[in-house]
Amino acid sequence: MAARAGAAALGIAALVSACGGGGEEVDVDDGNGTSGADQGGGDGDAPAGTLVAAISAQPDQFDPHKTQAYASFQVLENVYDTLVVPDAEGEFQPSLATEWTTSDDALTWTFTLREGVTFHDGSAFDSADVVYSYRRIIDEQLANAYRFASVANIDAPDPQTVVITLSTPTPALLDNIGGFKGMAIIPEGAGQQTDLATTAVGTGPFTLEETGAGGVTLARYDDYWGDPATVEGVEFRYVSEPAAALTALRSGDIHWTDNVPPQDIEGLQDDEEVELGVTPSVDYWYLAMNQTRPPFDNRDFRRGVAYGIDREEVTEAARFGAATTNQTAIPEQSLWYHEYAPFEHDPDQAADLIEQTAAATPQPMGLMVTDEYPETVQAAQVIQAQLAEVGVEIGIEQEAFATWLDRQAAGDYDAFLLGWLGNLDPFGFYHAQHVCEGTSNFQGYCNPEVDTLLNQAAAETDQEARKALYDQAAELIVDDVSYLYLYNPDVVQAWAPGLEGYEIRPDKAINFETVRLPE
Amino acid sequence: MTRYVLRRLLQSVAVLLGVSILVFAIIQLVPGDPIRAALGQQADPETYAALRERAGLDDPVPLQFVNWLAGAATGDLGVSFRTGETVLSQILARTPATLSLAGAAIVVALLIAIPLGTISALHPRSPVDWFASLSSQAGLSVPDFWLGILLILLFAGTLGWLPSSGYTPFTEDPVDWARHLILPAITAGVSSGSILTRFVRSSVLESLGQDHVRTARAKGMRARDVLTWHVLRNALVPLVTVAGVQLAYLLSGVVVVEYVFAWPGLGQLAFQAVESRDYPLLQGTVLLFAVIFLVVNLVVDLAYARLDPRISYRSAR
Repeated sequence: MAARAGAAALGIAALVSACGGGGEEVDVDDGNGTSGADQGGGDGDAPAGTLVAAISAQPDQFDPHKTQAYASFQVLENVYDTLVVPDAEGEFQPSLATEWTTSDDALTWTFTLREGVTFHDGSAFDSADVVYSYRRIIDEQLANAYRFASVANIDAPDPQTVVITLSTPTPALLDNIGGFKGMAIIPEGAGQQTDLATTAVGTGPFTLEETGAGGVTLARYDDYWGDPATVEGVEFRYVSEPAAALTALRSGDIHWTDNVPPQDIEGLQDDEEVELGVTPSVDYWYLAMNQTRPPFDNRDFRRGVAYGIDREEVTEAARFGAATTNQTAIPEQSLWYHEYAPFEHDPDQAADLIEQTAAATPQPMGLMVTDEYPETVQAAQVIQAQLAEVGVEIGIEQEAFATWLDRQAAGDYDAFLLGWLGNLDPFGFYHAQHVCEGTSNFQGYCNPEVDTLLNQAAAETDQEARKALYDQAAELIVDDVSYLYLYNPDVVQAWAPGLEGYEIRPDKAINFETVRLPE
Repeated sequence: MTRYVLRRLLQSVAVLLGVSILVFAIIQLVPGDPIRAALGQQADPETYAALRERAGLDDPVPLQFVNWLAGAATGDLGVSFRTGETVLSQILARTPATLSLAGAAIVVALLIAIPLGTISALHPRSPVDWFASLSSQAGLSVPDFWLGILLILLFAGTLGWLPSSGYTPFTEDPVDWARHLILPAITAGVSSGSILTRFVRSSVLESLGQDHVRTARAKGMRARDVLTWHVLRNALVPLVTVAGVQLAYLLSGVVVVEYVFAWPGLGQLAFQAVESRDYPLLQGTVLLFAVIFLVVNLVVDLAYARLDPRISYRSAR
């Protein structure tokens, strides 16, 4: 119900695959962007018109460097560009940068910028805009400043070149600067000259025309550097009630929506009036126990809990089956997937481990969830029933998200359920969560061996060696139950039959550049 | 009269100040931190500290209040933490939608209440009365969201007569504005209408039993005239008060109806402000709601004097 969705989100990150070894020139697809859809250029005689999309939550603001809301990024994805951009497989492709090289010591990255790119206000794009955008995030300490933690310097030796100097090798750099539109390039000085909260000056395929309380309108940008969009514009409407969104889709009021609750999937599969898209996402949901409190500080107790949970049942309850269970973070489709599943559901072993380590029988355990993400509430109810059978008495503590976050930050909880969304590079979803002093390590996990592995992996520029390090770290994280990973949910979207050129993506980026309206 | 209005306005200022202090104090007690809510899980400690300082949240609470009050007195309600927009512009952006919905809903409510209440009072314990009391009971008990979804499925889905949700400004397209308005107005108007129906019924019943009505009848006045001139005129004066309160309630946002119909009104705005602990926005919307109640009450009291010649606000003596 709340408007600010996805704040948990943006777990951040991305795949660095494209830029494997140091000093190596990266293959470049020059010219026309990275369209993934199976469709030719924007020419032809497809019907133009305006695409109407209903999104379930409301953007908070449109300053790409300041917002953290997924709803805002659904809009901004179509308005702004980043230097590089992940494709549907999570590999980084050229966008505003056409190519990049890394020095042999992996500390200097040189980006060549695309020529002939203009901002929506008509001004030309060059390296000064890149420096300005990044400096704005760093110097004003905006929400994404942490992504530049290893960046020592950003220079613009000439208008078409940007050089990023690092203090330590950072293979995740492409994810850090291109994983999502929070790292968008804005024109030099725009932070002072324009009200970026309500207007936008991007380089993307659409301009932000009008923002209102009920929705926003985008118009095709004809001077876009790639193929111009097929549709003349996009109208985003904010529709929170799923029944209203689906009715609007069926009656032709809208063409596309992401407001499809998992429980509706089955009924929609045979519905001829609705085209349903379901694909595994790179999000993951997990349970974490407060390892500064006994008995949750005891590894064996946590392992007992891990044996006591039946992920299939949890997934069925939380997502009506629209998810894949997983004992690690990242799904099978990802480059970084590592098959590892040591915890078979085993109530007897669970009961033994818990009995040996619990402080009381049954052991009480508060489980903090939030109505911001109803699936955490549903999952908690099942987990409560499962753990009751192995000697843990769960008290479900449902909080407003603002309160939830406060309690998490204060360490005022026994256990909680939440997710990390939009995970691309493992640095983004392992490091801050599991190194001893990590800023997102709210559960208080500390294993020096994991620290060593994660720190090595963060700086390892050889892709295979890097994956091997992450695989080892992941096994320890799972074995120690730093996080008790549960499942990767599906992305579920629905659109009008006949809508073409839309690609549903695991990172939930919504891109309408190549979409053609029905008929 | 003028003096009365002035006195009421002065009282209003005191009430508004009281409300502001109360809201400010209560917000401090509610757990949850606006900056953390804006940053989400990813909050980096340095960014968090920088944003808190910039938002003035590290100042002592009384100082924060004085700063806010100084701004509010000059019409500056501050900037929303969440959106970076001024509170005033956000409120203004949503006012037309709320005025449309509240206005239309109260019309729906009165269109239900006056005929239904009057007829059932004229025929107490008849099938009509029985129907009226049953339907007003139902109208009160039916949850808004359920009725709203039902109307959407029927009129937007099955019949396809009306749009399912959303809002078009009147200035943009009056016809589309009206088409979008019908379903939410009915949804919001039904429960108010049910409350008012019962009120009209008892009020008309009471009037019917009064001496002057009996006299009017005895002198041979036609039944319809008795009803119009002697019963309704008296019975509906108190309705103004109750309808005024209902209107103020509708104006301060019907969150559930706004949610179901994707109606960009003030209720949603206030709800989001609470959810994200957006202090300036919450303070601004609550202040506005207080103003709405004060103004509506003042207008109701003044309307009394016009409707009922016995009431006067001329200074006594």
